[in-house]
Amino acid sequence: MTVQVEIDEALAREYEAGFISDIESETFEPGLDESVITRISKMKNEPEWMLEWRLGAFREWLKMEEPDWALVDYPKVDFQAISYYSAPKSMKDKPKSLDEVDPELLRTYEKLGIPLIEQQMLAGIAVDAVFDSVSVVTTFREKLQEAGVIFCPISEAIVEYPELVKKYLGSVVGRKDNYYSALNCAVFTDGSFVYIPKGTRCPMELSTYFRINEQNTGQFERTLIIADEGSHVSYLEGCTAPQRDENQLHAAVVELIAMDNAEIKYSTVQNWYPGDENGKGGIYNFVTKRGICHTKAKISWTQVETGSAVTWKYPSCILKGDDSVGEFYSVALTRGRQQADTGTKMIHLGKNTKSTIITKGISAGRSNNSYRGLVKMAPTADGARNFTECDSLLIGDKCGAHTFPYIESRNPSAIVEHEATTSKVSDEQMFLCRQRGLDPEKAVSMIVNGFCKEVFKELPMEFAVEASKLLEISLEGSVG
Amino acid sequence: MSEWLESAISRGQKIDDWLNPKRSRALELLSTTKWPTRKTEAWRYTPLRAIQSTKATQLDVVSDLTPLAIADLSAIELVFKNGKLDKSQLSDTLPTGLTVTLGSELAAAQQSQAVADFSEVKPDRHLFGLVNDALAQDVVIVNVEAGVKIEQPVRISSLLSQGAESHTRVQVTLGEGAELAVIEDVQAEGETLNTAFVEYFVSPKAHLEHYRFALQTGTNVSVGGCHFNMLDHSTMHSTIVAFGSDLSRLDTDIIHSGEFVDAKLNAIYLLDNNELFDLHATVEHAMPNGTTEENVRCIVGGRAKAVFNGRIHIHRDAQKTLAELNNRNLLVSKTAEINTKPELEIYADDVRCAHGATSAEVDKQALYYLQTRGIDRAQANVILNFGFINELIDLMPNKVLAEWIRPIIRARFSTMKVN
Repeated sequence: MTVQVEIDEALAREYEAGFISDIESETFEPGLDESVITRISKMKNEPEWMLEWRLGAFREWLKMEEPDWALVDYPKVDFQAISYYSAPKSMKDKPKSLDEVDPELLRTYEKLGIPLIEQQMLAGIAVDAVFDSVSVVTTFREKLQEAGVIFCPISEAIVEYPELVKKYLGSVVGRKDNYYSALNCAVFTDGSFVYIPKGTRCPMELSTYFRINEQNTGQFERTLIIADEGSHVSYLEGCTAPQRDENQLHAAVVELIAMDNAEIKYSTVQNWYPGDENGKGGIYNFVTKRGICHTKAKISWTQVETGSAVTWKYPSCILKGDDSVGEFYSVALTRGRQQADTGTKMIHLGKNTKSTIITKGISAGRSNNSYRGLVKMAPTADGARNFTECDSLLIGDKCGAHTFPYIESRNPSAIVEHEATTSKVSDEQMFLCRQRGLDPEKAVSMIVNGFCKEVFKELPMEFAVEASKLLEISLEGSVG
Repeated sequence: MSEWLESAISRGQKIDDWLNPKRSRALELLSTTKWPTRKTEAWRYTPLRAIQSTKATQLDVVSDLTPLAIADLSAIELVFKNGKLDKSQLSDTLPTGLTVTLGSELAAAQQSQAVADFSEVKPDRHLFGLVNDALAQDVVIVNVEAGVKIEQPVRISSLLSQGAESHTRVQVTLGEGAELAVIEDVQAEGETLNTAFVEYFVSPKAHLEHYRFALQTGTNVSVGGCHFNMLDHSTMHSTIVAFGSDLSRLDTDIIHSGEFVDAKLNAIYLLDNNELFDLHATVEHAMPNGTTEENVRCIVGGRAKAVFNGRIHIHRDAQKTLAELNNRNLLVSKTAEINTKPELEIYADDVRCAHGATSAEVDKQALYYLQTRGIDRAQANVILNFGFINELIDLMPNKVLAEWIRPIIRARFSTMKVN
């Protein structure tokens, strides 16, 4: 088979999570102004301060300009054509247990392979599922509560733990931070809230699944994770969306706070609908993720990005405390006409802070894949250390792979090392694999998996398997 | 728009000469250009305050400066004084095959070629390049005939007297298989402003050896560019040495317009006090089978600021390209600053590209080793710093120049503020 035929086949592959769930839902009419924000706040029974906070963000957002520095090209988003709230109707009276959840909704999650029901006890993962704008169900809350861990929808946390939310919401990603985060502050509808008390090791992996279902809706979730002194938590995030012709907007904000000696591990497998082979439809994924590390704390971001039409995402660490550690491991695969501009920022403020950045970008089809990162050594970051490695792999001659690392050092005792390489799956590698009896697809998949191994080993076990599988599916038939 | 730019545009509008079509084009582009701010990517780390507040103006007085002597160099001198070519400095007998002419004095056919070439290699994105297009007074055309190897280097010096503003412009064309070495440098007294742009047209199989020295420190503002258009099987080797000033910015563009081009660029920064040097080095691989190797090394002391942007752009057709960029930085003072961005933008799959960047201080173990051998710390620092730079000086093809610059660099180290 010729390479071109195989590429065409790969491009024609269907998006496996592209089904639409037929669920009665209550959706706001499209449009955005202060009254919409007030309505969202009312729907969520939010206290007055929260509404004020949202409106403040909205006023800031109106003054801001959409950023254009990323290497992505998409038509301007019409923010008035988006509906900012959509909830499955049966959610109006919140379900007390899984039995009360709309069976159609449960089937949706089943299709996605998310273990929502009790058998997940075996899997040992607590899940908070966000469907369009609301958090549908959070499992294992009682078990977590025994350990003192709070894991609930953020809308609930605003009502039940206002002090915690008030203290930390917007403390890492402020309301004026950037265009999309300001929008998120104004209109966020749900997301997860996690609090791990002092000295506690969270007894199980926490997980959130996001799904955009309703047409013309945007998803603006907000996640806030606070790991108190000496605690430890591992958090997984997965995302899918139905296949639609229109572009849908996803503008999330994730804030992590790792207090002294705490550790947060945040893993994402992002598989939003990437659009069809001509670039029609797909999700615009404009996400702000940032964590702050206090003394001797550690934040580790791991991401596997295979979806979205346009990705604009830079999970970052502010290494404020001495001896704190930031890590970023990323695999980004683009195909079709996908565009990804993703990377990280490591801001070293404390002494002896360390950061590691390992990224693997794979471009196929007519896609463009960029790494954009910043490593900043402040004058206070004595003895700080950074190591960055960005590797890109090109599959086909119509795609692009780009690297834009920014290095700013203001401390002589800080050591920064950056290296980047770009190559293709070489004929020699293919020949060797074929000689050993592997078909071309298996060979490419094996080579790419090997290329990404450094990142996959950072993922929790279940996710590593899923990520590797996802990559295999996405790559099928890409090269001969 | 800044006052300075407005004044530049109005001065440009008054010029009426052989370059009119290109000048009016530049003025038109300038009128729609936004004055760069911190949010302008190309000027993110390099503030333009020094230009906005400069008192330098275009002066008529001919400076009595003479170019810095370089022993044993015996170059063909092309001297600009406050932006005007000083013909008396140019030797009457040039080697056969080499011509150096004012664009305004060229024969009609050659002049129209010169107009066509003008600003063809220099990309329009350079704001100060456009200013130079509009204001350059004596545009000089250097031409080497096909197959001719010129033994003597051509030295282009820009000399400025106190308070002077100058805009110099040279076009260098190497015929097929020709060989030439060009040295560019600037000398200025006190508060001055200059833009110096040189465009190179390197024909197939020709070889260009290039040097740019930006050794003028202090209140001098210097913004310039070297732009190289490389055709099939041509080669180039460029060395840049910069000491920085209040504002010193250089843009280089190496364009692989033909196949099998080989380009090498080595740059050395030695910054101290409040100096700033900003190098934006762009390589456009537009055609297949090209190779590029870039080495950039910086030593930054005092309160100085080093800015480097190294962009390698591999176009869709540039298969079998080999491109490497290596940027190493030594910070020797707690108040110094390094901002570096090595960029790769790749649209072809069968290529091998890599870049690396590091920032650190001198290896403490090496320092300790030298101290155990009885060398005091300051001296040991100089030895190690010098070694770091010396590797690139050793690579300079012109040994006379290498021997000239070595003691200048050594002297620079002895006064450098290290803490």
